[in-house]
Amino acid sequence: MGKAVEFVKINKYFPGVHVLKDISFSVEEGEVHALLGENGAGKSTLLNILHGVYNEYDGEVYLHGKKVNFKNPNDAILNGNISKVHQETMVVEQLTVGQNVTLGYQPKKGPFIDFTKMHKDVDAILTELNCRFHSRDIVSTLTAGEKQMLAIAKAIYHHSNIISLDEPTASLTSKETEALFAVIEKLKKEGITILYVSHHLEEIFQICDRASIMRDGEYIQTMNIRETTQEELIHAMVGRSVSAVATRQKPCQAKEEVVLKVDHLSDGKKFHDISFELHKGEILGFYGLVGAGRTEIMRVITGADRKIGGKISFKGSEISGNWNSTKALRMGIGMLPEDRKTQGFNKLASNCDNIAISSLEKYMSGVFVSDAKKLENAKHYFEELDIHPRSPEYLTVNMSGGNQQKVILAKWMSTNVDIIIFDEPTKGVDVAAKAEIYRLMEELVASGKSLIVVSSELPEAMGISDRLIVMSEGKITGEFTDREAFDSDTILNYAIGGNES
Amino acid sequence: MKNFYAKYKREILVLIATVIMCVVFTTINSQFMTWRNMLTVFQQMVLNSLLAVGIMFAILTGGIDLSIGCTFAIVGIAVASSCVGGMNPFLAIIIGLLVGAVLGLFNGILVANLKLQPFIATLGTMSLYRGVAYVVTGGAPVTNVPDSFRNIFNGQIGTTGIRYYVLVMIVVFIIAHIILSKTKTGDYLYAVGGNEEAAKLSGVNVKKTKYIAYIASGVCTAVAGLVMLASLGSAEPTAGISYETNAIAAAAIGGTSMAGGRGTALGTFVGALLLAVLKVGMVVINVDSFWQYVVTGLIIIVASYFEFVKGDIAAFMARHKKD
Repeated sequence: MGKAVEFVKINKYFPGVHVLKDISFSVEEGEVHALLGENGAGKSTLLNILHGVYNEYDGEVYLHGKKVNFKNPNDAILNGNISKVHQETMVVEQLTVGQNVTLGYQPKKGPFIDFTKMHKDVDAILTELNCRFHSRDIVSTLTAGEKQMLAIAKAIYHHSNIISLDEPTASLTSKETEALFAVIEKLKKEGITILYVSHHLEEIFQICDRASIMRDGEYIQTMNIRETTQEELIHAMVGRSVSAVATRQKPCQAKEEVVLKVDHLSDGKKFHDISFELHKGEILGFYGLVGAGRTEIMRVITGADRKIGGKISFKGSEISGNWNSTKALRMGIGMLPEDRKTQGFNKLASNCDNIAISSLEKYMSGVFVSDAKKLENAKHYFEELDIHPRSPEYLTVNMSGGNQQKVILAKWMSTNVDIIIFDEPTKGVDVAAKAEIYRLMEELVASGKSLIVVSSELPEAMGISDRLIVMSEGKITGEFTDREAFDSDTILNYAIGGNES
Repeated sequence: MKNFYAKYKREILVLIATVIMCVVFTTINSQFMTWRNMLTVFQQMVLNSLLAVGIMFAILTGGIDLSIGCTFAIVGIAVASSCVGGMNPFLAIIIGLLVGAVLGLFNGILVANLKLQPFIATLGTMSLYRGVAYVVTGGAPVTNVPDSFRNIFNGQIGTTGIRYYVLVMIVVFIIAHIILSKTKTGDYLYAVGGNEEAAKLSGVNVKKTKYIAYIASGVCTAVAGLVMLASLGSAEPTAGISYETNAIAAAAIGGTSMAGGRGTALGTFVGALLLAVLKVGMVVINVDSFWQYVVTGLIIIVASYFEFVKGDIAAFMARHKKD
């Protein structure tokens, strides 16, 4: 077998930064090749070079032995038969599946689009990929997993023989992930080469043949997955040994005192009859599949959305009247949302301003807000939470995922809230930063805060929680009060809606 | 100083462009650079800059206020009627500002409570307010506004020729600058415009912030209405038609992002100044006034293109420094 992709001495500069340093390695035809590294290691930049997003760089790229330099991603798809499936799939929601797949290259009959042929061709591909949806379906009715399949169908439509998948399972349910893996196996059998980028190491072991590892813009090594272990991979990625698994180093800090009590809460749509208590100093886990209604509950508790029925009490006093996020903040409750980019921070603002926005009263000098005091506060938390780079004046949007998460945490710590809700705290966060976030959670409860952690990753939910609530389709289906008694099979059974056996 | 440059790069660039325009006009006709002509420039920019700084508040929150031209007319009518009816002129001014605030608040309620799209909501009030102006006046202007009112704005500082309303403009801009850069309200306005959902989850009172933005828009418009009334001595129900477009242009040239979250009072001021220099300069060098529209259009396009490509220029320079 030949080389599907070969990188020779790739160097790439951004203003003031040397992002790729002498990258050379190759990908065999027909293999599933993982590209691993922490956020900021240069994986995305390398993929962007491969797919023609960046066409100014030093070094050479060969596809099947032929030197290429694509003008743009379309050039790569049409003339290089190489496609990329994006992290957040880019689709036109209002069009049909067929129109999306063929967008820009629709089959034509004279001057008009030949819809009959379009849908026939696309349906053939969808059948091939074992998809349950059809070419004539409107894209907005598809699930995240189905949209991912649509993107793969588009690659097949353009006869791509090299396909890159960038964090393809980030928003998929476990069932959809299984379906995706089956399709990857099938494509591999047909000789298609897959480049696979993911933070989920279990997935790498499940479907990849080899893995190339990058760190700080440098190529480290290529490893044969069958001959390595998760620890070795992590060591190569991070440069030191780090535990990727959520664990507790300190004992449980939970007290008797109840800081939050939820009674028969319901929003009339996504969840019903939810009751639970959060104790002071506790880490309460909420596990469930994507769409189980956990985020919706947290949004109601933090005042972002309205409730229909039920009661919420903080430290013994029931909330009444018009509950909103401003009041929730005053009550001492804050949330780190799942989708940082769209809900977590202001993209136009610096770290300093994003940290200060919830606690402006603290930085007043007279009637005016003092920038110096804001900066002083930000610097304090940059040290305390070890945020990199140590630049409070940088735009938050330019920080890595883990550090963005720490900036949002710094915002809540500045307000001195008592209850912090983490919604998928390590989504899109790399291995080393994950371990730090778990460590910070422990420090928070040790200092008397109470945490709720919503997670769709079972090892995380089991590893970090003192107590675990399992949800399925808007209802609480199980609760585990003892860490020692967490059992993955039972938890999963509750999460898919099964009853106690 | 370096910090100041980094923070107000856009504003400084627009100011430099304005200075270059002044040099060009002066080269063609030396009459341009006279004290009297400079006064004309500043008098020219007063109305548009006041409307622009108002609409900028709405734009900062990710909205827009198309109704300012009509608010402008209603304020004029309300104050003119009060003065003609014999009311104390200072009381009439307060009434004018209140009318602006109330009309702005109404826009704010439509946007924040009913969650209407700002463009549509203020398109509605634009017609609504204009209709009110016609109905109240029966279509006829309110004339004979007494000098006791007019002199408050039209008076001059000694013999300098500087009219009070130019000072009023400067005061409004200083207040706007302080609100935006030094107060909690300013931080909230930028936060809501930058990412409304994140601001809401951060405990920012988004509704209140939007009310403030639209009230500010209404009040600044009211000030413009007062200045207009003082210089004309009469209020027309047709006043201010399509003034919002020039106001948006001034804000945009000054670097206000139409998507919200970015823009400064200083930027809007230099944006309005540039447009005024252009307007007066074209007259001084005897260019047909119709060409003004062509040039204004080109400047808006070039200004926003410049905003877009400057990132690329920076990247390009950095790359070639390496070689």
